Amino acid sequence: MNRNPNGFLREEYNALVEKNFNWQPKTLEGPSAPVCKVEGKEVIMLCSNNYLNLSNHPKIKKASIQAVKSHGAGSGSVRGIAGTMDLHLIAEERVAKFKHTEAALIYQTGFAANAGLIPQLVDKGDIIISDELNHGSIIDGVRLSKADKGVYKHCDMGELERVLKDADSKYRRILVITDGVFSMDGDIAPADEIVKLAQKYGAMTYVDDAHGEGVIGPDGRGVGAHFGIEGKIDVEMGTFSKAYGVVGGLIAGSHDLRNFALNKSRTWLLSGSHPPAVAAAQIAAIDVLEKEPRHVKKLWTNTKYFKKQIKKMGFDTGNSTTPITPIMCGESAKAKELSAFLFKEGVYALPIVFPMVARDKARIRTMMNAGLKREHLDKALDAFERGGKKCGII
Amino acid sequence: MLKFRQGMLLGVCFFLTLCIIYFNDSGDWGGMMKVGFIVNPIAGMGGRVGLKGTDGVIEDARELGAVPIAGEHAAAMLAELRRIYRNSDIQWFTCSGEMGASILEEAGYEHSIIHETSADTNREDTLAAARKLLESRVDIILFCGGDGTARDICSVIGRKIPMLGIPSGVKMHSGVFGITPAKTADVLAGFIAGELKPAEVEIMDLDEGKYRQGEWVVRLYDSALTPFESTLVQSSKLMVTEASDADIINEIAEYIEELTKEEPETLFILGPGGTTEAIAKYLGMDKTILGIDAFAAGSQVGKDLNEAAILKLTNKYNKIKLILSPIGSQGFVLGRGNLQLSPEVVRKVHRNDILVVSTPAKLERTPVLRFDTGDAELDRSLAGSGWLSVVVSYRMFRLAKVQV
Repeated sequence: MNRNPNGFLREEYNALVEKNFNWQPKTLEGPSAPVCKVEGKEVIMLCSNNYLNLSNHPKIKKASIQAVKSHGAGSGSVRGIAGTMDLHLIAEERVAKFKHTEAALIYQTGFAANAGLIPQLVDKGDIIISDELNHGSIIDGVRLSKADKGVYKHCDMGELERVLKDADSKYRRILVITDGVFSMDGDIAPADEIVKLAQKYGAMTYVDDAHGEGVIGPDGRGVGAHFGIEGKIDVEMGTFSKAYGVVGGLIAGSHDLRNFALNKSRTWLLSGSHPPAVAAAQIAAIDVLEKEPRHVKKLWTNTKYFKKQIKKMGFDTGNSTTPITPIMCGESAKAKELSAFLFKEGVYALPIVFPMVARDKARIRTMMNAGLKREHLDKALDAFERGGKKCGII
Repeated sequence: MLKFRQGMLLGVCFFLTLCIIYFNDSGDWGGMMKVGFIVNPIAGMGGRVGLKGTDGVIEDARELGAVPIAGEHAAAMLAELRRIYRNSDIQWFTCSGEMGASILEEAGYEHSIIHETSADTNREDTLAAARKLLESRVDIILFCGGDGTARDICSVIGRKIPMLGIPSGVKMHSGVFGITPAKTADVLAGFIAGELKPAEVEIMDLDEGKYRQGEWVVRLYDSALTPFESTLVQSSKLMVTEASDADIINEIAEYIEELTKEEPETLFILGPGGTTEAIAKYLGMDKTILGIDAFAAGSQVGKDLNEAAILKLTNKYNKIKLILSPIGSQGFVLGRGNLQLSPEVVRKVHRNDILVVSTPAKLERTPVLRFDTGDAELDRSLAGSGWLSVVVSYRMFRLAKVQV
């Protein structure tokens, strides 16, 4: 047949460009820091996930450099064959100890954890019950499974129980999945109630705590510690790429979970393992969290100050109780206008507009950073106040 | 376009329709939007004087003192549109006089006349205007009227282009109407901006035959497209994909096809509606939108069945699954548009084997599902605990409230 084998590449890309739907990532020149350089402009960073600024912590950087010297630049293989180093195992032991669980397993990324593990936990004849606002990578994991899926209204425990009751007699296994901290709204899932309901109906629980790890709970130990239910969530999943300041996905739970997960997750089995520098940085990040509680404290001090001031100005911040603070703008055009104004004023915060959120719920999503000083926050707040007034939001 | 699940197997980005990224400007679709505009000047006149509509009884209505209200409603909608949508990229196409032109003129909108109305405007004018608008390749038809007008326009345009109604009739059971004239302007503005997409809705009206026998029965006549917020799915970080209704229904159909393969001994009965029609097409069946059809062991075993034929067919199978789609907003699963599925038929089906299918967006705007088979005891048992699991995508379910 006479066909152009590659023609679709440009055609589909051009179609995205025409609608302005193509990604145009902005470039950071230098480290992801509380104040950093984005395409030549110095800005206060309010949209990175580097909550604790650990990516710049001298001890963690030093641990990475040391590991390159002692273990080399790469790991040589996948974990299953010849790519498991002592550093990988130490990192997993430290995660389990830190989160008060029996065991832990580290995946290449958070996405690899969800996409690799979820489809193995349930199969045909089983059901996954999921919060409607769960993160994309959970949704992907859910879709890769042959199990049925039930969806419940965001954080609605009444509806969760109704779905559990309906599923109880129809299915073999039931798996309840939720985000710990929801990334768009910054609210926390009632994991304690979810665990209680799951236990009542004999269901497994899986909490994706990507935005809670290093942020909520004593010393930033995550969602289990936050609710005092450590070890009771069957799969506590998290990531090293946010508050820990490194990269990598993790799951914490029982020995049985670890044994099962590493033998069954194709993402884990078929990707090369983390380079030594990454594994050493993961260990050092946990060290820092255990020994230097000031970072988490500072993150919350900053968060409280920022939220208080921004509310005082008359902004609506939704239901957020975490360092993710959405600043409601109403229509999409206003959120875009405010974001552009902020960038000009040296504040980097992105608009979240329709269709990511409802048509009248466009917002600027801000993420706090422990490395920001009071003067930075005041500068950002001043820009928000002037911008908010200029755009007619406050 | 690639099918969903092929993308899914790649494990990359599953909903391939549109990837909308947060920091880009969206909404500018470029070019002009062509809007057709038809006003039924006598719509709604019967209401205040106690008539069921104005179809064929306009003289009675006038004698009873009815005054025209449609023009006023249309003008209110246009005034709101002018307030909220300031761009001048709408091209209007309409009929002469009070069927459109005079109202657009008063609102200050330039327009082209595609149909010269007769002296005493009537139904033929609506049909002729709809035909001309279709020929003019308008993007949407905005009309002012009730169920009768909606039916007339839909009979011409079908699901080729979307339609949107400014509510002004005596009967407005169809899913194409805005809540108020002002809200209709908001919907049109959303459609022009590309935020709202055509989705399928039912065209309902009073069954005139039954009405003449003294019964007030609303039934399903057709299926049309109207702008709605799409089903949104987050497919990766900060990226949301907007899945079209057709894509979602395909996902549902894929699941139903799997069921038919897993259960070759089961008789699958498909009720009326656009969703079930699309599922039937996926299964390779020849289905009418209003009819009831049956499928078993990979092939069609019944077409446009009446109650007797359904009962006869059900006797041949041990297990029966009913696939039904609720009527949008009103929520009827049984008892409207599918009376062939009589209580006797429904009693042969286990409650867990009644599969209600709906796109999530449609379910969202349908607050409660209803069973109205005419047998109160059966309706109660179908309602069960008051919640029903509805198929909303491939192997995906949501509980919906059922009126007990």
